Amino acid sequence: MVLQLIINGISLGAVYTLIAVGFAIVFTILRFSNFAHGGMISACAFIGYFFQRYVKPTPPFALTVIFTAVCGIILALAIDFFAYQRIRINKSPSIYYFLVSLTVAILIEQILIVFFGTNMYGYPAVFETQTMQIGSFRIKTMNLVILAVSLSLLFALMILLNKTKIGLAIRAVAIDPNTSRLMGINSNVVITTVFAIAGLLAGVSGVFIGMQYSVYPSLGPTMMLKGFIASVVGGMGSLGGAIIAALFLGLIEIISTYFLGATTTTIIMFAIMLGFLFIRPQGISGKFAEDKV
Amino acid sequence: MGILEVTDLRVWYDGLEAIHGIDLSLPEGEITAVIGSNGAGKSTIIKAISGMVKRSGKLIFQNRDLPEKSNEIVRRGVVQVPEGRKVFAGLTVEENLRLGAYTNSHPKEIPELLEKQYETFPRLKERRNQDSGTLSGGEQQMLAIARALMAKPLLLMLDEPSLGLAPILVSEVFNNIVQIGQSGTTILLVEQNARKSLCICSKAYVIENGRIVIEDTGENLLNNKEIANAYLGSSKRLSCN
Ligand SMILES: Nc1ncnc2c1ncn2[C@@H]1O[C@H](COP(=O)(O)OP(=O)(O)OP(=O)(O)O)[C@@H](O)[C@H]1O
Ligand SMILES: [Mg+2]
Repeated sequence: MVLQLIINGISLGAVYTLIAVGFAIVFTILRFSNFAHGGMISACAFIGYFFQRYVKPTPPFALTVIFTAVCGIILALAIDFFAYQRIRINKSPSIYYFLVSLTVAILIEQILIVFFGTNMYGYPAVFETQTMQIGSFRIKTMNLVILAVSLSLLFALMILLNKTKIGLAIRAVAIDPNTSRLMGINSNVVITTVFAIAGLLAGVSGVFIGMQYSVYPSLGPTMMLKGFIASVVGGMGSLGGAIIAALFLGLIEIISTYFLGATTTTIIMFAIMLGFLFIRPQGISGKFAEDKV
Repeated sequence: MGILEVTDLRVWYDGLEAIHGIDLSLPEGEITAVIGSNGAGKSTIIKAISGMVKRSGKLIFQNRDLPEKSNEIVRRGVVQVPEGRKVFAGLTVEENLRLGAYTNSHPKEIPELLEKQYETFPRLKERRNQDSGTLSGGEQQMLAIARALMAKPLLLMLDEPSLGLAPILVSEVFNNIVQIGQSGTTILLVEQNARKSLCICSKAYVIENGRIVIEDTGENLLNNKEIANAYLGSSKRLSCN
C-alpha cells in the first residue's frame, strides 16, 4: 500500500514537474510569471481528449501525446507572437507581461467555457484498468507510463540545456540578457525556443493531468497553481529546485489526500508555499531571482 | 580610410543627448585609445558601436554600413569586452569561452580556438571547469578578453580592462592587449589608465562631455602639458616604462 502511494505520488509529482519547469523556464528568461501556461494546459487537455476520443480509428496513446505536444508548441508560439512580442518591441515594463499573461489565461478559459461549458469530460480509458505486477505490488500502468515519459522528457530537456549550443545560449540569457547580446546571441531565437519548450511541456502535461483528473476549462489554472507553488518553493527561476519541489509536492499531495482528504491537502499545499516564502524566500535552490512579478 | 569610420555619432539617454556628434577613424591593425574623465561618454561610444544603445550617425565598417542589431554587429567581427567584465557567473570558464564563439557556425573550429586562448591565458586552462563567478577580478578580466577573442574579432573594443586590478595585473593586461594588436586585430581601447593607454596606442582621442576635444598620436599626447595636467596626474613628462 505505502509503495503504491509513493509511486502514485512520484508519478503525479512528475507531471507537476513538467508544469513547474514549463512555467519556470519562461520565468528564467523573461522574468515574469507566465499564467497563460495554465490556459495552455487546459487547451491541450481538451485537444488531447478530443483527439483520443473522436479520431477514428482510435489513435495509439503515444500519437495523442505527440499530437497534443505539437499543438502545445503552436499555441505557445502563437501566444508569444500575438500577445507578448509587442511588449518586447516596445520595451514595455515587465509588469505588462504579467498582466497580458493573466488576460490570455482568462481568455483561453472563457473560450473553452463557451464551447464546452463547465462540464467535466472523462478521458477514454487507455490504461485505466491495466495494472502491472512488480514483485508483490500492483501498480497502475498509467502511472508508470506517466512517470517514464515525464522523466524522459526532463532528461532530454537537461541534455538540451546543458549539452547544446542553444541550451548554453538560454542559460546565458537567463543570467545576463544584455551581455548575451554582446556574444551575438539573438534574443528572439532564445525566446522562441523557450516558448516552444514551454508549449511542448504544456501539451504533454495537459494530456497526463486530463487523464489523472478529468478535463474542464479551469483544469490548467488549478494545476498551474501547483506548478507555481513548486516554482516558488524551488526558488523562482531555478529549474533544478522546481523539479525537486514538484516531485515532493506530488508525494505530499497523494499521501495527504489518502490520509487527510482532498480539502485539507489543498490547504496544506498553500501552507507549504507560504511557509517557504517566510522562511526562505530564495527557495530550496538558494538562488534569488530579482524583479519577481 | 580606417577599418571603422564613424561620422556624426549621437546617442541619447532618456531624451538627453550624451554624445554630441563625434567622428572617429580607426586605422586597421592598430590600437586607438579613447581617454576622458568619468561620465565623459567613453563607454557610451563603445555601446553605440556595439548596438547596445540607440544611435544616429554614419558607421562604416570595412566599407560597408555597420548593422544596427548587436547580434549582427558581432557577426561582422566587431566585438566588445564590456566595462566590469560581465562574465556569466554560474557558468564555467569554458562555457563562457564557448559563448564567445556563439556566432561561429563551424563547431570543428571551437577546440582549436579554446586551445589558443588557454595558451595565451594558462590560468584559465587550470580553471576551465570552475564557476566563472568564483574567479578573481584579474582572472575574470582575462576571461572576458579571451571570450571576446573566441569570436575571432576584426575590431576588438575594450572598456576599461584595467579597472580595479592590482598594478602587476594591469601590466599583464596591457601586455596582452599589445600582443593582440600585434597579431593584426584592430583595437579600440577605452581606459582610465591614460598613461599606459597612450603608451601603447598609435592614435588617441580625448573626449569631454560627449565631444572630442583632441585627436592626436599617443606620443604627442603624452608630451602634451595640458593632457598631462588633466589626465596623467602630473605635469612632468612621463616615460612609458
Ligand atoms: N543607461 C543610462 N541612462 C541614462 N544616462 C546614462 C546611461 N548610461 C550613461 N549615461 C550618462 O551618459 C554619460 C556618459 O556615460 P558613460 O558611461 O559613457 O561615461 P564614461 O566615460 O564611460 O564614464 P566612466 O569613466 O565612469 O566609465 C554620463 O553623463 C552618464 O550619466
Ligand atoms: Mg565607462
